[in-house]
Amino acid sequence: MSKSVVLAAHNITAGYGGHPAINDISVELREDEVLCLIGHNGAGKSTLMKCLFGLLASEAGSITIDGEETTKETARQVADRGVAMVPEGRGVFPSLSVRDIFSLGMHAAGIPKKERADRVDWVLDILPAIKEFMNRPAGTLSGGQQQMVSIGRALLNRPRILLMDEPSIGLAPKLFQDLLAPIRALQQREKLSILLVEQNVREALKISDRAVVMKSGSMIWEGMPEELHDNERLMELY
Amino acid sequence: MLALQLTITGLQTGALYALTAVGFSLIFGSTRIFHFAHGATFIIAAYLFYYMNVSGYGLIAGIAAATAGAIAFGLLLNRFVYVPIQRDEGSFFTVFVASFGIGIVVQNVVGMIFGRGYVTVSTPLSFSVEIMEGLYVAPIAWISMLCAAVFFGILWGFLKYSQMGKALRALADNPELVRVFGLNPRFIAASAFTIGSILVVPAAIISGATSGLNPAMGHHVMLISLAATIVGGIGSVPGTLLAGLALGLAESLALLYVDSQWTEAVTFAILFLFIIIRPSGLLGRSAAH
Repeated sequence: MSKSVVLAAHNITAGYGGHPAINDISVELREDEVLCLIGHNGAGKSTLMKCLFGLLASEAGSITIDGEETTKETARQVADRGVAMVPEGRGVFPSLSVRDIFSLGMHAAGIPKKERADRVDWVLDILPAIKEFMNRPAGTLSGGQQQMVSIGRALLNRPRILLMDEPSIGLAPKLFQDLLAPIRALQQREKLSILLVEQNVREALKISDRAVVMKSGSMIWEGMPEELHDNERLMELY
Repeated sequence: MLALQLTITGLQTGALYALTAVGFSLIFGSTRIFHFAHGATFIIAAYLFYYMNVSGYGLIAGIAAATAGAIAFGLLLNRFVYVPIQRDEGSFFTVFVASFGIGIVVQNVVGMIFGRGYVTVSTPLSFSVEIMEGLYVAPIAWISMLCAAVFFGILWGFLKYSQMGKALRALADNPELVRVFGLNPRFIAASAFTIGSILVVPAAIISGATSGLNPAMGHHVMLISLAATIVGGIGSVPGTLLAGLALGLAESLALLYVDSQWTEAVTFAILFLFIIIRPSGLLGRSAAH
């Protein structure tokens, strides 16, 4: 039986200042899967991610979550539907401590105060290394630690759908795999759906169930990771 | 004894400078809006208090009117001038010119209503008393310093412990990420204008009861705020506080060596020194983080 679609973009066109960055893109994320979005800089991966999370208004097309139209919804409304986003770059506020970032994230998500300590404990069980720097300003942490905090903050909302925008940037492959291993375990345990945007194709495909390749704002290939591995032309490109 | 006298006067002036400058710094640091009309907020609050005082409404009503006027001006300016400019991706310079122009309008309107000369709010606390031989201090000088200490204490606690305080610091760090968190940057910016405008009120009221008011003093207030923000380190509230105090002290202690007409030049000499020697300021971002 095929898995149901939890998040879908239908013929989305979007861009900046009248210049489209993505053209007529359609993509579906199913429940309990990791979908990897691959492409070089300028392919439109992050633009699509921003549209899906309500950070950028699309010029055409529609977005649905669990079959309900969310095209015009704000990031807060999308988050309330159980979606969380790990943004590109370091998703932390340098002047705030990790504890404050978690606290602000839970406040923004409207998580009741009495539940907040349990949520933090739950995230620290998944990413225990964060315990060591909970009280440090995020600006003093290494790139890997900041990325861990960014992922941890997104998980505090206990999302059903996790959007991750190039979490490998600036990280060594080994560190990236160490970071993704607990997320993959969590995804399999909690039936999470993950949309992973990556340039680091080989590493990303190791944890993906399906892959989509984008180029210059359009989708050029969709299939299983092993099929992409067999496609010498695409593997050379990416 | 003269040095002590000037130190106390300098601390009083510095406390008021710090209050005004921290308000500007908080707004600029978190929203990146060059709110030049912050000096006009000072004028509106000061003259509203003056009007309520001379009309016999009393101290509390005067403070309430000054506070309400300052907040309303800051919020309306943000909503109807800065937000539309930012929505249309207007430049930093566009914001500056709009803000500067509004400051001029406020100065002229206040001048038409209250006249262009100096006015003073007379209180028994404004008169100096001899606290030791040759040392004269008005009770309002202690009130200025106490007021600044209380306001900064509250602000420190607010920024450190409240969710809105954390959100203000977050907005200063990364506005785009604030949206990813699901927070509303415009609401946070409006909060920055509210708090920044409130911080002006005690300085405006106390200035009315000490040095007196005139409609053009908004520019001086703004220049001091700007100098303190740069000397303190752009985006650093503690740095701006220290710089405001230091500039007030420097202006006052300069009287030991120069005539009073040169005191403002001392402020700008310090500003230029910092720009050349330490452009990031006392506690600027490069030093703070």
